[in-house]
Amino acid sequence: MSDFLTVLWKEAAEFVGNRRSLRVFAIAVLFMGILPDIQGTKANSATLVLIRVIYVALAAVIVVAQTAPNLVIHEREGHTLETLLATRLPDRAIFAGKVAAAVAYGYGAAMLTMAIQLIVDGVIRGSWSWSYLAAPIGRWFVFGVPVVLAAYLATVGTFVALRIGDQRSAYLVTMLSLAVIALPFVLGLVTLQASVAWVEQALFTLAVVDALLAAIGVRLFNRERLILYQQE
Amino acid sequence: MSAAIVFQGLTRRFAGHTAVADLNLELQPGTVFGFLGPNGSGKTTTVRMMLGLLRPSAGSLRVLDLDPIADGERLRSQTGVLLDQVGLYDRLTARQNLDLFARIARMGPAERRRKVEAALKRVDLWDRRADHVSGFSKGMRQKLGIARALLADPQLLILDEPTSGLDPVNIKLLRDLLTSLAAEGGRTIFMCTHQLDEAQRICSQVGIIRAGRLVAVGAPETLEGGERPPVVRLHCARPEAARGARLPEGTRLEGPDAEGWLRATLAHPEDVEALVKALVAADAGVQAVVPERRSLEDVYLSVVEGT
Repeated sequence: MSDFLTVLWKEAAEFVGNRRSLRVFAIAVLFMGILPDIQGTKANSATLVLIRVIYVALAAVIVVAQTAPNLVIHEREGHTLETLLATRLPDRAIFAGKVAAAVAYGYGAAMLTMAIQLIVDGVIRGSWSWSYLAAPIGRWFVFGVPVVLAAYLATVGTFVALRIGDQRSAYLVTMLSLAVIALPFVLGLVTLQASVAWVEQALFTLAVVDALLAAIGVRLFNRERLILYQQE
Repeated sequence: MSAAIVFQGLTRRFAGHTAVADLNLELQPGTVFGFLGPNGSGKTTTVRMMLGLLRPSAGSLRVLDLDPIADGERLRSQTGVLLDQVGLYDRLTARQNLDLFARIARMGPAERRRKVEAALKRVDLWDRRADHVSGFSKGMRQKLGIARALLADPQLLILDEPTSGLDPVNIKLLRDLLTSLAAEGGRTIFMCTHQLDEAQRICSQVGIIRAGRLVAVGAPETLEGGERPPVVRLHCARPEAARGARLPEGTRLEGPDAEGWLRATLAHPEDVEALVKALVAADAGVQAVVPERRSLEDVYLSVVEGT
């Protein structure tokens, strides 16, 4: 556990020192926080609620898809990856620390976006409406969807970065991978009634996919493979 | 006491080529070993196998009496490493960089503070502790990398080109540091370097690797690599008389040089006695006979380039 926390500490310290990551984070949070309420959608309409919850998830998606590959690419470009692998840190602590850091940034972005949405709603409309948090389905969307999406993208992004060297391509491939997982759920959402039970099942399914990916990740993220990737 | 490093037929193949072939080596604790060889000769692959980052394709190795693959975590916790690319975190300060590695070494907060401070002071970077590494010169980065490698008092130091980028003052500082570390006893230093002069001064043993094969191993002052006829230098009162001497068969005499020394290349080491007798008989006035030792550079060049 202390090794995992050490990697998290390192990633957090690097994140704070990285202007580009901070800029992406700030832009994503501000845009997704402000946009729903300045689009002219009717206050408290079902559409506005849907837009808000989608933007909360989107903030997480943008931040994680940008950050997760960077955590590896930056290490490789700075030649720190091999130095890190030459320490006693276990492979799984490095992998878990990187994925958890990306998830934390994404989830943090989602929560900040939600907070900004509520503040903007209060300031623009004076309604201080927490309506979408009152219903269980709203809470699932706002608190559950970002975390499972962030975990999925963080794991995929970490692996994409091992094989793709430049940040832009890694970001695009990570975003594309979202389509693979999101499409069935979007279709389900459109064709089926979005009941609480449906959302719970969808989140559970995504969580299982995340767990499977993480298990595969732990197996694949080993020193020798990383060194061989680096050599290629 | 068991050997610090043992290679037995150590081999590593990649698709299409063999990077390291049949390496055999045994180093005792406290050895300062210079691992010499041109780029692409297999040094980095060997270091990676020593750290458990790559598995050998054949043969075996034990480092600090541990198997680098099976006991990798334990081995790496006792090893300080400076790779050819220093690998510092540019977005962190000098202090944060060392703090990270102190955390990795599982030091408590008080020990961390103490050791990081001592390490930064040791390499003269204490005043720059709060600066981001991105603004550091190559020499400063190298020094910080060395401080990081020494942070946890490792039993084994693996250094890849440790003096690269350092100015002469810092090269001397590092040389003194390595010498004192070696003198403390017990700590083994495995150093890859292209600086032959540095290897000759610091290392108690050197090995030369070429195309993945260890072609010469020994103390720098006695290392003989490749086939080379014995050479002696002679100082004679009348060197011109040496020209008429009946030299042993196959002996080639050159000189004298500006200082009056003749240089004789012999066909066999035992020809020295016959050579001296011949010169005495020719009344050359032999004053001194000195075997010519090859510098490490000569040995290296003869082994690596066949000169």
